Amino acid sequence: MSLTKAQSESLSERILGMVKADDATLWITDSEDLQLRYANNDVTSNGLVDRVRINLGVSYGKRSASIDINQTDDATLKDAVAKVQAMAKLAPEDPEHMPPVEPTEFADPLTFSEATAAMTPEEALAHIRPVIEQARAAGVDTAGYLERSVGSGTLANSRGLFSFQRSSDVGFSLTARALEGRGSGWASTQVTDVGNLDLGPVGDRAIQKALASRNAVERAPGRTTAVLEAAAVRDMLGLLSWSLDRRDFDEGRSFLNGLVEEGESPIGKKIFGENATLISDPLYEDAPCGTQYYGLPRVRTPWIEDGVLKNLSVGRFWAQKQGINPQPNAGNLILSGNGDSTEELISKVEDGVLITRFWYLRMVQPQSLLYTGLTRDGTFAIKDGEIAGPVKNFRFNESPVNMLKNIVASGLQERVMGSEGNMPVHVPSLVVNEFNLSSVSEAS
Amino acid sequence: MQRRDWLKGTSAAGIALLSSRWSVTAAEAASLTGRFPGLADAALSKAKELGASFADFHVMQTDRESLFVREEMVQGVDAGSSLGCSVRVLVNGAWGFAASEEISEKRVAALVESAVAMAKGQAGWRKQPVEIETLPAYTGSWELPIEVDPFTVPLEEKVERLLAINRAALSKGASYCHSRVAIVRERKWLANSFGTRVDQSRVRMHPSFSITLTDSKKGEFASRASTLPPRGAGYEHLRDWKAEDDALLAVDQAREKMASPSVSAGKKDLVIAPSNLWLTVHETVGHPTELDRALGYEANYAGTSFCTPDNLDKLQYGSDIVNIFADRTAENGLATIGWDDDGVETKGKEFAIVQDGIFRNYQMALGQAALIGRDTGSNGCSYADSFDAFPIQRMPNISLQPGQDDSVTTEDLIAGVEDGIYIDGNGSWSIDQQRYNFQFTGQVFHRIRNGKLDGMYRDVAYQGNSVDFWNACDGLGGKPTYELGGAFNCGKGQPGQVAPVSHGAVPARFRQINILNTAEESGKKVAAVERCCCSGGGQIA
Repeated sequence: MSLTKAQSESLSERILGMVKADDATLWITDSEDLQLRYANNDVTSNGLVDRVRINLGVSYGKRSASIDINQTDDATLKDAVAKVQAMAKLAPEDPEHMPPVEPTEFADPLTFSEATAAMTPEEALAHIRPVIEQARAAGVDTAGYLERSVGSGTLANSRGLFSFQRSSDVGFSLTARALEGRGSGWASTQVTDVGNLDLGPVGDRAIQKALASRNAVERAPGRTTAVLEAAAVRDMLGLLSWSLDRRDFDEGRSFLNGLVEEGESPIGKKIFGENATLISDPLYEDAPCGTQYYGLPRVRTPWIEDGVLKNLSVGRFWAQKQGINPQPNAGNLILSGNGDSTEELISKVEDGVLITRFWYLRMVQPQSLLYTGLTRDGTFAIKDGEIAGPVKNFRFNESPVNMLKNIVASGLQERVMGSEGNMPVHVPSLVVNEFNLSSVSEAS
Repeated sequence: MQRRDWLKGTSAAGIALLSSRWSVTAAEAASLTGRFPGLADAALSKAKELGASFADFHVMQTDRESLFVREEMVQGVDAGSSLGCSVRVLVNGAWGFAASEEISEKRVAALVESAVAMAKGQAGWRKQPVEIETLPAYTGSWELPIEVDPFTVPLEEKVERLLAINRAALSKGASYCHSRVAIVRERKWLANSFGTRVDQSRVRMHPSFSITLTDSKKGEFASRASTLPPRGAGYEHLRDWKAEDDALLAVDQAREKMASPSVSAGKKDLVIAPSNLWLTVHETVGHPTELDRALGYEANYAGTSFCTPDNLDKLQYGSDIVNIFADRTAENGLATIGWDDDGVETKGKEFAIVQDGIFRNYQMALGQAALIGRDTGSNGCSYADSFDAFPIQRMPNISLQPGQDDSVTTEDLIAGVEDGIYIDGNGSWSIDQQRYNFQFTGQVFHRIRNGKLDGMYRDVAYQGNSVDFWNACDGLGGKPTYELGGAFNCGKGQPGQVAPVSHGAVPARFRQINILNTAEESGKKVAAVERCCCSGGGQIA
């Protein structure tokens, strides 16, 4: 099911018209996903999936409840409205309840492409087939996943707000494995407009890495200079952005509490390295996102400027309580780079490690924002400004705060996928000092 | 907010509505069950007509309810239901799949056409055709036994249980406490071209809390989460939980944790409680022994496995006291079901993964056993997490079996340790994509000295290699110490799917495991590292 604006408006009116509660907020998301998965150089699971999700929140004063459904017939909608209203009446009052937002204008997003929406399964197969045939010819085993997603998000409420935003993207990643010598390589791309989709170089990059990473040798773990490719940087930044929260800080349970004196604000403080500048901007062409978040406009927001913390996300209730403006969290992330190629970054490193990407990142210590995770699919030693050869993977224990403190050089920004989340990003590879590679992993 | 204040809003009509449409009532289930055979027959015959050698048709409804209480504020009262159907076809050795939330004859016919087209699109460049074994045809229904349907329990009763937890924690001095309960019912109808027609229903619940203490002067904080696992169970799982007692203990333990010495990194003996060890079983045995991973199907996401087929019946996975079994029939198991999503009956398909320390078998779905030369067929490990998900191989309940001596207690295991740590509750977890190198934390780390608990440590993580770790196991609790842990949210696949799974475990002892000091790992200079035997009673030395 792919809703037009008119259909969405009509459905919203139908649902909100059934509501008798004091207030109501309605989210409708729909999508048509085309999924192509392959492994061992053959297509495995794949499919065409359409879905709709309707989330209705209602409130009586400060009592509220919400319900999720995926059917749009009248009987289902009426039952859902009756049920959620009954639940809201039973719910205790929430002192932190906020009424729906007032109608607001949002900028038109840059997230939709007609060409992407029109992509057929045959076209998707035609994109994948040469990548698989390229791998077969190279004697490399590949597994990959292409997903074309097209859909819309509608936000409407009983105060008269109505926002309809469409989005589309194609994401592709593959892992190439050289079974002889246990080499592994990975690459990805993500585009809004399928016209910009070119899988050939992506496949080639993964295959070349797989071949180059054969017969890896062990290198001693420890704190070292690391060239983190964009996918690795992306994962660490995503983790950081989730933790830039004003309420957590005010309540004393943020990593920022350990970095300032009691009573001191972290905003305006130089917490990161002076060459770290991180922003969100929904209208950033290379990695756009939606222009509203729970009814609040998303606008260009600097999070870190030249190492100085500039903003924390703040929910509506907490903003009201503290007498400040609410601040939506990051919908995309753009980290400034200097435009150097990966080779140029490598040339700046006397002794270090090149890391393609990370895997299984998990919080170890929230007090210091310490995360653990592993390198995978292409890890190489660097000696005297050149790749010296493949090395076995590492487990790291490191904080994204330290990563942004210890940047010594940055590269060309890329839109890449990662192993954590699906937020659009445009980030460079980084050269980072003192990256804590904690132990060796035999995984290849 | 006192209970009596908000109960004023309660009405009999309101309560009655709670048991209406969003849990599948008998009438609604009967309606779907009544419609299902006609839709299934139409879908399967159309698939055959279009060239499918095998096809299946799934309808799935998932009902959810979740409640969230922050301190004494009820901030989440949420319900939900999703309903839809899918068609999977095998045409000329290639899979095709399509799904929709719309369940109508017209839409199902269109899904069959889409799925067949996806399969036929691979003709001419496919390398290896998919082959599957023939399965018996089953008809019937299966329902997870529960005592009290949680969807019929009045909302205010469930909310009050959570509020009571938070009140207890706050009364003991917690700075913050949040509690929640998540309730899920899955209802599945499956028909396939072998002639199977089954419908199934199961319920699962996960009540939980987390408390936090803060020290604003030092800019420090400490948390302790509950250790009650989710279960395939009804409301009785929340009703019978002595949650307030655990909340009071959690506050004491968080306070002690904040004041504890930081652990010194190095090798130590560990005794690990089932509340922590279930997750270690999951990561170091469960995932490595998934056959689809071992064969490369997950290479681009979850990864592959060190445990390749040449290890079958050879690899010394653990010491000879280690036995790890798999089933989809365990009482209260989150993976427990009558038939898997390929239509394989699970009863009688229980199997040993590790027996007397030796690796014996993989988890398998339809068409996989023959790929490693076994004629056993699938052992019932297929699962799709929603109506729009392609069924893939997922974990059954996988459990560490008790030792041979039923009388062995946790205290007995601790008595055999001179200098070590007793770890309770699971915290952070991470493991590489081939399942060699793991690193886990926990909720509470009790110091063991001379065979007895003696205060706590903080900043502890244990790290190692899966096979080395299980071979370092030299003690297991007896049957009375067995506990079933688990999670709602095991991730795998592209697009990502989450599966519920249980893992039973007994407390177990491991010798000379690598301990990390997580504060030092973060780059901090640690002032209060433990000092051999001179630091007293868990206080900062």
